[in-house]
Amino acid sequence: MSERPEPMSETAPAPADVDSPTLPTSPKRSFAGIVRGLLVAAAYLLGFVLLLMLTFVVLRIPPLVALHSLWTGAFGDARSGHLPAFSDTLIETTPLLLTSLGVVVSWRAGLFSIGGEGQLLVGALAATALAKYGTNLPAPLLTLLMIVSAGAAGGLWGALAGWLRVRRNVQEVISTIMLNYVAKFLVSWLVLGVLQEHTYHNPQSESLPNALLFTRLLPRQWSDNSQTSLHLGVPLAFVFVPVIALLLFRTKFGFALRVMGQNPDAARTAKFPVDRMRVQAMALSGALCGLAGVIELLGSATGSLPASAFSPGWGYTAVPVALLGGLTPMGALFSALFFGALTQGCRNLSQFQDVPTVLIYLVQAMAVLAVVGARAWNARRTGKEAE
Amino acid sequence: MKAGGDVETDQESSRRSAAESSDPLLQMQGIVKRYGATTALNAVDFEVDAGEIHALLGENGAGKTTLMHILAGLTRPDAGVLCLRGEPAVLPSPQEARRQGIAMVHQHFMLVPAFTIAENLAMDTPRSPVMFRPGPYRPEQAAQGAFEKAASLGWNLPTNTRVSELSVGTQQRVEIVKALATEARLLIFDEPTAVLTSREIEELFVMLRRLRDGGSTIILIAHKLAEILAVADRVTVLRRGNRVASAPVAETNAPQLATWMTGTVGTPSVMGITPSHAAAPNTSSPNSLTVEELTVSGDRGEQVLRGLSLTASKGEIFGIGGVDGNGQSELAEALTGLRRIQSGRMAWKGEAFPSASGPRIGYIPQDRRRMGLAPTMTVGENLLFDAVREKPFRRGPFLKKKALRTLAESLISAFDIRTSSQDIPASALSGGNQQKIVVARVLRSAPDIIVAMNPTRGLDIGATRFVHQQLRAARDRGTAIVLISTDLDEIAALADRAAILTGGRLTEYDVQASDSAQIGLLLGGVTTGGDSPH
Repeated sequence: MSERPEPMSETAPAPADVDSPTLPTSPKRSFAGIVRGLLVAAAYLLGFVLLLMLTFVVLRIPPLVALHSLWTGAFGDARSGHLPAFSDTLIETTPLLLTSLGVVVSWRAGLFSIGGEGQLLVGALAATALAKYGTNLPAPLLTLLMIVSAGAAGGLWGALAGWLRVRRNVQEVISTIMLNYVAKFLVSWLVLGVLQEHTYHNPQSESLPNALLFTRLLPRQWSDNSQTSLHLGVPLAFVFVPVIALLLFRTKFGFALRVMGQNPDAARTAKFPVDRMRVQAMALSGALCGLAGVIELLGSATGSLPASAFSPGWGYTAVPVALLGGLTPMGALFSALFFGALTQGCRNLSQFQDVPTVLIYLVQAMAVLAVVGARAWNARRTGKEAE
Repeated sequence: MKAGGDVETDQESSRRSAAESSDPLLQMQGIVKRYGATTALNAVDFEVDAGEIHALLGENGAGKTTLMHILAGLTRPDAGVLCLRGEPAVLPSPQEARRQGIAMVHQHFMLVPAFTIAENLAMDTPRSPVMFRPGPYRPEQAAQGAFEKAASLGWNLPTNTRVSELSVGTQQRVEIVKALATEARLLIFDEPTAVLTSREIEELFVMLRRLRDGGSTIILIAHKLAEILAVADRVTVLRRGNRVASAPVAETNAPQLATWMTGTVGTPSVMGITPSHAAAPNTSSPNSLTVEELTVSGDRGEQVLRGLSLTASKGEIFGIGGVDGNGQSELAEALTGLRRIQSGRMAWKGEAFPSASGPRIGYIPQDRRRMGLAPTMTVGENLLFDAVREKPFRRGPFLKKKALRTLAESLISAFDIRTSSQDIPASALSGGNQQKIVVARVLRSAPDIIVAMNPTRGLDIGATRFVHQQLRAARDRGTAIVLISTDLDEIAALADRAAILTGGRLTEYDVQASDSAQIGLLLGGVTTGGDSPH
């Protein structure tokens, strides 16, 4: 009886387990790679514009006029200046950026949090409560404390979902959505109750003194003496792009977080503290969303928190924004800018053309479809190449 | 469906009786199956006569399941001929195999846990186009034939109980009824006793005999010798993808079967490796890992290790052989601190662990994809799971990226990991190179103890040899290694001392004496020596 030297497995090994003769090649950064990347980006953009024009045609809006209207809404034109429009775009970008960074953190950790909306609301709520009861503090200190408390409140709201996952194996997709509703009604209840402004004219909290609000950054003379909306909160938010990028890709915590997000079993086998990191990741994600809430509050004209409709759903839009950005902080930045510009552009479009404001959702959906479609096509193509 | 079934049966049995005189029911000739560089079946012949219980015996990896998957239409052979009742047959799918009267009762049941018994059985009845029938759907009606089969076996299956609420033994009955309901005449049982209690095993054997006496033919995949001797009529033994022997059970005995099954254990030249058993280590030395009276439960709370004790000294490889599912994973997880121990004591150099200042333990898990790698992270990152936690690779909170990249680069060349760069995802590498990542990571951290579980499963001969060299080198540097493997040749090639794990306990054997019959008996769960139930 001749012996076979090969080791054997009883069950069939997966085909990929078998040593393949060809080595996989690296998508290394090279000149050709950069050109290819730019071409891909151009293809995305072209596809998006084509889809957009098709939509306009279907809605019987002259496509070229509409496109121009979108563009000037987002970036201004020579007549009315570029700064006011572009700073409005940045204002729209800010809450999307912070909430989508929150999504990047939690999804990278393998936790599919949909809780940005609720975390944003409790952040704004905590800051509002602090402003009401901490009036004897000096203004800059109180502003700082409001920002910190909003981050802490959002963080706790997120950590709660993380803790439920670790302790009771409650899926965070469910718990975060539920907590969004809890936050929404908590805001309504408190704003219509103890936080109600004293005249009872509007269902909102007290207006904040100007000293607490973020200062406007651009001098009036840069834009024909009209006040541009750009405020201190915008650069504050943008600072978190490199911060989160460094955290994810240059620290031990970020490394462990990514291992866990990829394969929690491997993380546990490698003795990373999976349970603790799940709570931490959810807390960090929630804190970023809480910050989005307070920055929106302090950047507004009056700083008062309405009982409802404070957020047009930034916490939810954050998920497609983050996914469009490939779950990277830099990607989230560009993606949030894109969505911010679209929102501003659509607002302009609906002002000057006879189109409904819900068009913006249609246009956003087109953008997501363009990218998803292009990615699917790309995946299928490279899949064919591999065969 | 009943009438149709009867006609089918009549046809089959008439065809069968016509063919019975000359040809066996099933003939498989020269079956070859390769997976990449691995040959799972090497020109295997296999014959089964009608109306017998035929046991298919072999170690893990002998090719039993692969051969039966070919017969059940789940796998297509690379070469070979299959004849049913003397006529060549092609079985491209499980459906076709069923049409030919072949059904398999799988080791891991193919039932939907959330469905009731009736729903599970109804799903599988071929001649009931339930989808297009108007009115409410009544699964118990569709499954009526199956329930009648169960009743004829004396089983009263609760129609509306969910499968998830049934005991494993009852689930197996549902699976058997499912197979019988399709009028299968040739039933394949894949290690049916592995999941059963001893009472359930008795009942299963009674049922197998009754099925045989009712005209069915049964193939029983098994590795427990006592069970084969108790129930089978004939036995065929596979070893490493080759047919070793086939004989009536009455003419054989446990030691004979054990020798066939394990062959010449202890000839490491098979692996292209020369063993070094030179320095027989002193087992009572204080420089050792000692485990005393270890009791550990499995995932479902059942006791899998019952008072297990072992010693592995510094610079020694302690091999633990045995068939899968005897507590191997639980032992590995207990040793590495991933599973809580219920009672017992683990100590390194006399000091108990797990503790804050315990020994460094490196773990090569058995399933690298599930437990060893983050597949879309890069090759480099996958090599650095431990390094990122070490002080020299951090500056403040930040990782020293350059130093880490240099380290990954040096590991890639030292461990001969075939990759175009450290920046491609680990999932793009072959299985062998993925395993090298895991091994490299463990060895770099210079652990006091290494726990390696089936470290070369699924690897080709080159990668296997490499991993073995690395483990031997670690041993020579003074690491205590616990090698848990289902491959006895691997243990013979590497281990200084060895034991077989069966039923949650260890039985030591002399790895150099290579008394294959003795080992085979141990593997087969016979712990008292040459006793056989016959």
